Amino acid sequence: MNGKDQALIVDSTERLLDVLRDRLNLKGVKEGCGTGDCGACTVIMDGRLVSSCLVLAVQARDKRITTIEGVGTRENLHPVQKALMKYNAAQCGFCTPAMILAGKNLLDHNPTPSKEQIKEAISGILCRCTGYYKIVDAIHDAAKEISEARC
Amino acid sequence: MLTETAAAQKLREAQGFTLIGKRIQRLDGLEKVLGLPLYTSDIVPKEALRVKVVRSTVPHALVRHIDTQPARQMQGVLAVLTAEDIPGINESYALLPDRPLLASKKVRCQGEAMAIVAARDLETTEEAAEMIRVEYERLPAVTSPVEAMKTDSVLVHDNGNVAKYLRVRKGDVQEGFRQADVIIENTYGTQFQDPTPMEPEVGMAWVEKDGSVTCVGSMQTPYYVQTGVAKVLGLSPDKVRVIQATTGGAFGPKSDEMPVDTCAISALVAQRTGKPAILAYGREESMIAHTKRHPFVITLKTGAKSDGRLTASEALVVSDTGAYASLGPLVIIRACFHATGPYVIPNVKTDAYCMYTNNTMAGSFRGFGSPQVHFAAESQIDELAKKLDMDPLDLRLKNILRPGTLTATSQLVDEACGLEECTKRATEASGWRAKRLEFGLDRGPFRRGIGLALMYHGNSLGPEGNDYAYVHMLIKPDGRVVVRTALTEYGTGAISGLAQVAAETLGVPIQLLELGAADTASCVETGPTVASRVMVIGGRATQIAAQKLKKKLLTVASDFLQCEPSKLTIKGELVGHIDDPKRTVPFRKVVEECYRRHISLTETGYYIAPKCEFESENSQGTTYQQYTYGAVVTEVQVDTELGIVKPLKITAAYDAGRAINPLSLEGQIEGGTIQGLGYGLMEQLIHSHGMVLNPTLGDYYIPTSLDIPELQTIIVEYPGAVGPYGAKAMGEPPVDLPAAALANAVAHATGSRVFDLPLTAEKTLFAMKRQQR
Repeated sequence: MNGKDQALIVDSTERLLDVLRDRLNLKGVKEGCGTGDCGACTVIMDGRLVSSCLVLAVQARDKRITTIEGVGTRENLHPVQKALMKYNAAQCGFCTPAMILAGKNLLDHNPTPSKEQIKEAISGILCRCTGYYKIVDAIHDAAKEISEARC
Repeated sequence: MLTETAAAQKLREAQGFTLIGKRIQRLDGLEKVLGLPLYTSDIVPKEALRVKVVRSTVPHALVRHIDTQPARQMQGVLAVLTAEDIPGINESYALLPDRPLLASKKVRCQGEAMAIVAARDLETTEEAAEMIRVEYERLPAVTSPVEAMKTDSVLVHDNGNVAKYLRVRKGDVQEGFRQADVIIENTYGTQFQDPTPMEPEVGMAWVEKDGSVTCVGSMQTPYYVQTGVAKVLGLSPDKVRVIQATTGGAFGPKSDEMPVDTCAISALVAQRTGKPAILAYGREESMIAHTKRHPFVITLKTGAKSDGRLTASEALVVSDTGAYASLGPLVIIRACFHATGPYVIPNVKTDAYCMYTNNTMAGSFRGFGSPQVHFAAESQIDELAKKLDMDPLDLRLKNILRPGTLTATSQLVDEACGLEECTKRATEASGWRAKRLEFGLDRGPFRRGIGLALMYHGNSLGPEGNDYAYVHMLIKPDGRVVVRTALTEYGTGAISGLAQVAAETLGVPIQLLELGAADTASCVETGPTVASRVMVIGGRATQIAAQKLKKKLLTVASDFLQCEPSKLTIKGELVGHIDDPKRTVPFRKVVEECYRRHISLTETGYYIAPKCEFESENSQGTTYQQYTYGAVVTEVQVDTELGIVKPLKITAAYDAGRAINPLSLEGQIEGGTIQGLGYGLMEQLIHSHGMVLNPTLGDYYIPTSLDIPELQTIIVEYPGAVGPYGAKAMGEPPVDLPAAALANAVAHATGSRVFDLPLTAEKTLFAMKRQQR
């Protein structure tokens, strides 16, 4: 759980979303529909994006889970976070944690994505404020920053 | 582009601006990328009760009986409330007193709240809610606004189905049609669009030790919630404190009834049980209950000379406000005044009706009647161009509003009109002339089309109400500057924009600025956060507050620098002499001195826009104090075998008056454009016999990142008379045109027009088949 072992006894009917929010106090995970359509509750599970409203908590056993709380800190932002800030790509902020996780997960697997690949990577998360443009640009910029830092 | 170009910087500095026009980061950006802002559901105390609402499942019926007994007897259920349990007045409405908070004798649409259930956990609450049985006596329903106009129609309310009628009369429309060489008449239809803020509606309440009530919720206008909740609880408004939590998008429905409903219902439970209570709508509940964009039926008859000059426009504009008026009577005013589109037409006759039906409630939604009428007006102009065999661009250039011309309401267009420049730049940037020809040569199943649409958007409230704002500012002893107002942030960045105006006016770096919460306990009533008002009206109030503070600071600084205050200025973190850059004193030291002398560094700025003066019988005169203008070009590819419309590119040019923060402004244009693209191509909350068929995000599609075409934004600046530094309203306007421009592009691609939104594959194909016949 965000890089740390976490032992919890959960009920077989509990959603991962509720366990994250209510029991682990990870409030950056949002619920926008509860039916897997909006993507606001997206977290990274073993390197893949999942809608935590559609995952039972028991399914997360022995899995590596990353939420926005495990991505960066005030002093040490992840490049995707930095870029979203620069572009004012967080408007109402409700989809922002999910978008950042999708961007981070993409760059973990593909450090030099095209804009089309970025659009594909965030396509499971709905945003009503931005029209997606600034989010795509920001993730694209973050990729450049990461690859430049590696050189 | 992320950073400012050297040329843009030079221009800004030449205009004497430090921060205005600069691409700066919003003040809430860091918190948001860390996922830290607290939305209402993030701050629910452990002991809080979960509330559910039992809603009507029929569109029109008498309520014979609500059986709450089984729910009351359920273990764990702590409150079951109906209309008779309301201690105050059972009302929740925005404008006309037509809507109860809890329906008891009659229901007029699907989704009306009828009973409230509360328990410690959501499962118990939901189970109990399902046990409540309502016995209905069904009544016939009217679900079309045109049907509702008929004299023998079912009545939704006892006093008739017309919630509002108004008209425009300019010149002599019969004479105008006599002068015309060409006359066309068409009827256009638009659909229910759901606003779909990503965070559904939510409100929470608790009772304080002294019996007063505190509400926290997702909302646009805290003082509406205060008034509404106080009325329901039977308390005086000063006994209700309302705090806006971080709000996950709004777009209109979080202005009026919904935040009152969520907070009042939670408060009723809190009052009854003594425990905090939270009501969070599910997505389906949200889509059925909250206000959405009004469907319109618009009949336009337009006359023109053979050279393209418009001579007359006659319009019948009918909106469907659903079972309750909400802000429908104001939406229809805006629609009526803008129904001709941004053109000079000497003879205008417009009749506009806001109709009750048994559909779900429509109301406030970004654009506020403007997207509907612009879709019709701009489709009509293209149809006229076709009839006249003219390029639609030339026909428009012949007739557009320019300085010195008169609008449909006979308002003289002032110098702050950038419509022509928007039109020219959008068409030039998109390569209009060449593509208009080139796309016409497409053969085979895939045909491209290019379409243009123009708009004007009367700013702020205009005829909709008193247009004022209060903004508070405080400079702390450490020199940090706090801006606080009951105007709210719900995503647009407008409140950060106020901070930018405050910093520019004071002369301090933006880094010193902080934003306070919108809280009725610390901000005075300031009118609603609607109509793209924050920057235009709130910006002016901010300037006034900042000027007052600046005056105090300079007076104190003049003692340090031994000169007249008028010779001083604030720049960076220094107060200095205008003519002698070496004579300075640190800003912070001046602030400290003010505190030492007990000079209050708290100020409130108040601004009220001039009243719009017009003759109300025929709506002639000044209907708005300033206008935003815009031009949008869309390019599409239509699969003529399947009817599928694929947007390829959008070029959008807006006269924003003054771009306070171009980066945030682009964000508004981009977001509004895609909300408008959804309206044009895919979004439709389908009502069948009054029942919503697709109230889920799995069945109601909004654009995803894969649906967005290339977008080029162009900002032009013709400073307006009202907004700070000439800024115009830019929150709503970007949603006005995409659907219209897409409709024109599809008509160009296929040679046949779709008269009803959205432009689905089915309708596009059907239009082509009709044409072939």
